[in-house]
Amino acid sequence: MSPRRTAAGGRIDRARTIRFTFDGKPMTGHLGDTLASALLAGGVTLVGRSFKYHRPRGVFAAGVDEPCALVTVIDGQAREPNVPATQIEIFDGLVVESQNRFPSLGFDLGAVNGLFGGLFSAGFYYKTFMGPVVGPLKGTRFWMLCEWFIRRAAGLGRAGDAKDAARYEKMNAFCDVLVVGSGPAGLMAAKAAAASGKRVMLAEQEPLFGGAARWSGETIDDAPAERWADEAVAELAGLDNVRLLPRTTVWGIYDGNTIAALERVTDHKASRARGEPRHRHWSIRAGKVVLATGALERPLVFPGNDRPGVMLARAAGRYAAEYGVLPGGRIAVFTNNDSAYRAAAALHRAGATIAAIVDVRAQVSAAASKLARETGAEHLTGHAVVDTAGRQRLRQITIRRFDAASGALSGAARRVEADCLAVSGGWSPAIHLASQAGAAARWDERLQAFLPPEPTGGWVGAGSFTGAFTTQEAIAQGLAAGAAAVGATPAASKPPQAGGPDLDVTPAPVFEIRAKGKAFVDLQHDVTAEDVRLAHREGFVSVEHLKRYTTLGMATDQGKTSNVPGLAIMADAAGRTIPQVGTTRFRPPYSAVSLGSLAAERHGELRPERLTPMHDWHIERGARMLAAGLWFRPQIYGQPGETVEQAYAREAAAVRAGVGIVDVSTLGKIAVQGPDAAAFLDRVYTNVFSSLPVNKARYGLMLREDGLAFDDGTTWRLGEHEFLMTTTTANAGKVMQHLEYFLDVVWPDLRVNLTSVTDQWAGAAVAGPKARDVLAACVARTGVDNEMLPFMGIVRGEIDGIPVTICRLSFSGELAYEVYCGAGHGLAMWEALMEAGKPFGIVPYGLEALGTLRIEKGHVTGSEIDGRTTARDLHLGWMLSKKKPFIGSAMMDREGLASPERLQLVGLVSLDNRAIANGAHIVEGKQPPDDPHGSIGHVTANCFSPALGRYVALALVKGGTSRHGTRAHISDPLRGRFGPVEIVSHHMFDPEGSRMHG
Amino acid sequence: MVEQMSPLGDAYVPGSHGNFADGTGVKISLPQPGSIVEATAWPGREAALAGAIERVTGLSLPHHPGGGVVTGDRSGFGIGPRKWLLTDAAEGLAETLRDALGIENGTVTDLSHGRTAIRLEGERAEWVLAKFFALDFSSDAFPVGSGRATMHHDILAQIQRTGPSRFNLYVFRTFARSFWRVLCHGAEEVGYEVR
Repeated sequence: MSPRRTAAGGRIDRARTIRFTFDGKPMTGHLGDTLASALLAGGVTLVGRSFKYHRPRGVFAAGVDEPCALVTVIDGQAREPNVPATQIEIFDGLVVESQNRFPSLGFDLGAVNGLFGGLFSAGFYYKTFMGPVVGPLKGTRFWMLCEWFIRRAAGLGRAGDAKDAARYEKMNAFCDVLVVGSGPAGLMAAKAAAASGKRVMLAEQEPLFGGAARWSGETIDDAPAERWADEAVAELAGLDNVRLLPRTTVWGIYDGNTIAALERVTDHKASRARGEPRHRHWSIRAGKVVLATGALERPLVFPGNDRPGVMLARAAGRYAAEYGVLPGGRIAVFTNNDSAYRAAAALHRAGATIAAIVDVRAQVSAAASKLARETGAEHLTGHAVVDTAGRQRLRQITIRRFDAASGALSGAARRVEADCLAVSGGWSPAIHLASQAGAAARWDERLQAFLPPEPTGGWVGAGSFTGAFTTQEAIAQGLAAGAAAVGATPAASKPPQAGGPDLDVTPAPVFEIRAKGKAFVDLQHDVTAEDVRLAHREGFVSVEHLKRYTTLGMATDQGKTSNVPGLAIMADAAGRTIPQVGTTRFRPPYSAVSLGSLAAERHGELRPERLTPMHDWHIERGARMLAAGLWFRPQIYGQPGETVEQAYAREAAAVRAGVGIVDVSTLGKIAVQGPDAAAFLDRVYTNVFSSLPVNKARYGLMLREDGLAFDDGTTWRLGEHEFLMTTTTANAGKVMQHLEYFLDVVWPDLRVNLTSVTDQWAGAAVAGPKARDVLAACVARTGVDNEMLPFMGIVRGEIDGIPVTICRLSFSGELAYEVYCGAGHGLAMWEALMEAGKPFGIVPYGLEALGTLRIEKGHVTGSEIDGRTTARDLHLGWMLSKKKPFIGSAMMDREGLASPERLQLVGLVSLDNRAIANGAHIVEGKQPPDDPHGSIGHVTANCFSPALGRYVALALVKGGTSRHGTRAHISDPLRGRFGPVEIVSHHMFDPEGSRMHG
Repeated sequence: MVEQMSPLGDAYVPGSHGNFADGTGVKISLPQPGSIVEATAWPGREAALAGAIERVTGLSLPHHPGGGVVTGDRSGFGIGPRKWLLTDAAEGLAETLRDALGIENGTVTDLSHGRTAIRLEGERAEWVLAKFFALDFSSDAFPVGSGRATMHHDILAQIQRTGPSRFNLYVFRTFARSFWRVLCHGAEEVGYEVR
C-alpha cells in the first residue's frame, strides 16, 4: 500500500485495487477513490500547468471547486478536456492526461512565460497586441498574427474531433419538493418533507450522500456522522415517494421552479450497459426547492499560494477522512478561522505530522486551542505565511508575525519545513442557485460572507448555505425547511443531536497577506492580487468590469475559490467596503455541463423525419431522396449512368409524351368543416369559394394581411359544409396557424373547424396524355371520362377495393388527376396505379421533373410566392375578387404594391445553351457588371426543358411583361456564370392550356 | 375491406431488445384501432356532442380538460377545448358519429389513417415516457382514462393512460416510424419487447 494511504477509514474499499493510467503511466488506487485522491495516494503532487504562466499546479480542492487539477479524460477516440481530477471516480482502464504542457508535465517549455510575468498582467492582450498604424500589420492584423501563438501558449485541454459514442439523454421529472444537497441540512429537509407523503427528490453532486457528515469527524445522535447519514439515506431510499439522485449537479434554476440538473450516470463505470446514457439531463418541475448546497472554503491570498502541496484545509481534511489519503507527511496549516483546526485534527488522526498551525488571529477559541494541542503542532497565532518554496512541490513555508487589524508584517522571517500547507480563508455559502433565482446577495460582516438573498417564494434555504455553519443549526434548519416546503409544521420530537468541538464560526477579516512575490487570487486563470490592483489603478471601478478585464472568476470553475478574495482586494484598493463593491450575479451553469446532454438525442437516425406511405417503394426503386423540411421526397428515379439532369429530363418528357406518376402525399391538407366553412373560405382566399358546387375543386390564392401573396393550392368541396384544402408542402403548418388565428381571434363567431388531415390521405398525381387511360383501367365504381370527371371535377370510386377520391387538376399542364386514398392504403393504391399504367409506359417522376413541368408552364411555387411578391406580380391579378373583401384586400392596392417598377414573373430562355443558375441576377449590360446595383431582377427556378429543348428559367424582373422578347444577361459572380438570355412570357409551354383541358 | 398497412416498415422488429438485466421494462405494440376520430363541438354544444358520443359508443366522457374513459374496445379523451379523440376497434365510427351528431352541433373528422396508435405498457412505462415529454405521468396527476395533447420535438402526440402502467400514444402517421425509432431507442435502457 502507498505510504500516503492510511490503514483504515474512509469510503474506499482497500480490498479492491483499481488500475488506471495518468500521462501513460500505469497507476493504482482503490474503489471509491477520485482521481485526485488516487494521485495524492500515489505521491503525485504535480497534476497540471497553469493557464497563463504554465506554473506547476497540484490538487487544490476536493470537490467541484477545484481550480488547478484539470485533466483530459480519454474514452476511446473521444477526449473530454478540463475535467477536475476531484470529480473523476476512478475505474479499471481509466485513461487521463495532464493538460497545457509541452513536451511533458515535469518539463514544460511554456513555463518560460513565468519569467515575463510583468508582460502578462491584466489586460495584456489589449495593451500589447495593438498593431501599428501603418504597414502590413496595421490594426487588427497584428493581433490576428499574435493570436495564433497565444492560443497555443495559453489555455486548457484540447478537445478531440472524434465522434463521441456515448449516449446523452433528457429526462423530465415532477415533484413537490426538490432538495439540493445532502449534508445534514439536506437530509433532514428530505426526511421532513417525505414524512408528509409528498413527492421528494434529493440531488447530490457527489457519489455519496451525506455532505459534510462524511468527513466532519463529528457525531450525530452519538454515532459517527457518516453512519447517521448512511442510515438517513437508507431510510429515504426505502420510501416510495422519494427519488434519490446521486452524482447529480443542479446547475440552473429557472422561472416557475424549473430546475436543470446533470446526472453523471456512467462516468464512474468502466463500461456502459446497453442503452445506458453517459449523462442524463434532468428538467425538474418542483413545487418547492430546498437549497442545502453548503458552503465553499476560500483560500488566503499570499505569495507562492499556488505551489503544488498548498491546498484548502477542508480538502486536506477530506482526503484524510474520506479517502484515507494523507496529502503530505509533514503538514502545516494556515488559517483565519477555526474550521482549519478540525482539518488539522483529522490529518493528525490519520497519521500525518502537523508541523505548525499558523493563524492570523492573535487569539483563538478554547476549542480550537484544544484541537491544536491535540495535534502536537506548534501553534503560531498572530502569524502569517509570507512565502513558500519548492520546485514542483512544496518544501518549505516562510512565516512572519502578522497584525490582523492592520495587515502589517513584522519580525524576522521563519522557515518551517512542510510538504503540504492546508489553507483556510473562511467560508462562502454556495448561493449560486439562489442568486440565479433572483435577488442580490447580502454581505454578512460577522461571517465575512455573502449570504443568500431573501427567498423569492420558490425556494427555502437550510444549513451552511444560509450561513448556519454548525451541524446542529444545519439539522434544525433542514427540519424547518423540509416542513415549510410541504406546508407542515416541524415535528415536535427532539431533533438529532450533533456532537463535536464548539468551534467559533467567525473568521478574521483577512483575505490577503501582502508580501513580495506572486500571490494568486484566481488560480485557474492566473489572476494575481497585483492584477486586481492594476485593474483598479487603470480605472476599472465596477466589479463587473474587474471581472471582464482581469478574467477573474471566468474560468471553468467560475471563481468558486476566487470571487470573494478578489472583491476584498479590490475593495481594499479602492478604500471601500466589500458590500460597497458588491458581487457579480451568478449565472447558470453552477458547474460544467456536457454539451451532449444539452443537445441530447435529436440527430442522425433520431432526427424526426416525415415519410409518405410510399416512401419504401421510392427507396426500393432507387429514388434519390431529398429532404424538404422534415419530409423526404424523391428527387429523381435515376437509371444507371444517368445524371440528375438526364434523369429528370427523361421523366418530364415521359409525362408529356405518355403518362407519369408522382407522390403528392406531402401536400398540406386541412379539413375545413362547418356551417360557415364556405363563408370562411371566401374570407381567406382572394377568390370566391361559396359558389363552388359540391364535388368540384378550385385553385385558390391567399394573401397575408399586408397584401402580399401567402400560399396557393386547390380546395375541394366534398360536401355542403365540408372542404378539403390543400396547401404547399412547406407552408402547411403556417397556413394552419394563419387560419386558426383568424378563427380564434378575429372571427370567433364563425362555426368552422379545422383539422390537419395531411397524414390521413395518401396522394398520387397521374399526369400525361394517357393519364385517363390509366385510371380507366383500374378505377371501379365511377367513370373517369370527360363527362363524369371534367376539369376540376371530383369523383369517388375504388382501385383494387380501396376507396379513392379523384380530382382532375393539373400542376404539370397535362391531362392530370390527383388520386387520394386513406394513407394506410397508399402503397397498395400506388402499386395498383403502377400496374394499371404499365401498358401505357407509366413512369414515376420526382421533384425535379415536377419542377421542370411547372416551370415550362409558368406555375408558381414558394420560390415565387416568397413573401415579397403580390398576386399581380405573379400574373394572378385575375384571382382578386372585386365582389368581396378578403384577408389582404385592404392593403394590396397600396402604392408600393401596385408600382410598375415592381418585379414581375417572366420566363427566361438561355441563349448560350447553358444552364441558368438559380438566384442569379439579371442585368442589362453585356459585360459582368462592376456595379452590383445594376440588377433588374433574379432567377427563381431553372431547368432544362425537354419540351422546349432549351435551358429555361422563371425569374422576377422589373417591368416584367414589357420586356418580353428582349435580351438581357444573367450574372452569377459567385459561381462565375454570365450569359445571355431572352426574356419571354412565363407561359413557355402550351400557353393555351389545350393539353390539360383535353 | 383492404387492411391498413403499418407505417413502421423495417423499424418494426418484434421480439426482445435492449438491456434485460432487470427484466423487460416495457412492452411496445401497435394496437391498430379500426377507427380514430376527432370530434369537435361548437361553443355551447358540448353536451350535444357528449350525448352523441355516448349514444354511439357508450362512452360517458368527463367534461374536465384532459378527462377521458377507456372501455374494452373503445376510448375517448379530451385533446383541447370542445375537442375529443375517440377510438374504436371497429371501423366506421366517423360515419356513425357524424350522422348522430349533425353539423349544427359540431364536426367529426376521420383520422383512422392519419394517426398511428402506439401502446406502451410495463413497469418502466412512466420512466420511458418521461424521457420524451415534459408531463407528469404519475397516476395522481395522470389518472387512468385521462389524456394529454403534447409534442416531442416536432412530433405531435396525444397520450391516454389506459391502465395503471399502460399508455396509448397517437402520433401523426407520417412521423410514426421516426417516433417509433426514438421510443425504442429510449426504451433500450430498461429492456423492451415489441409485439
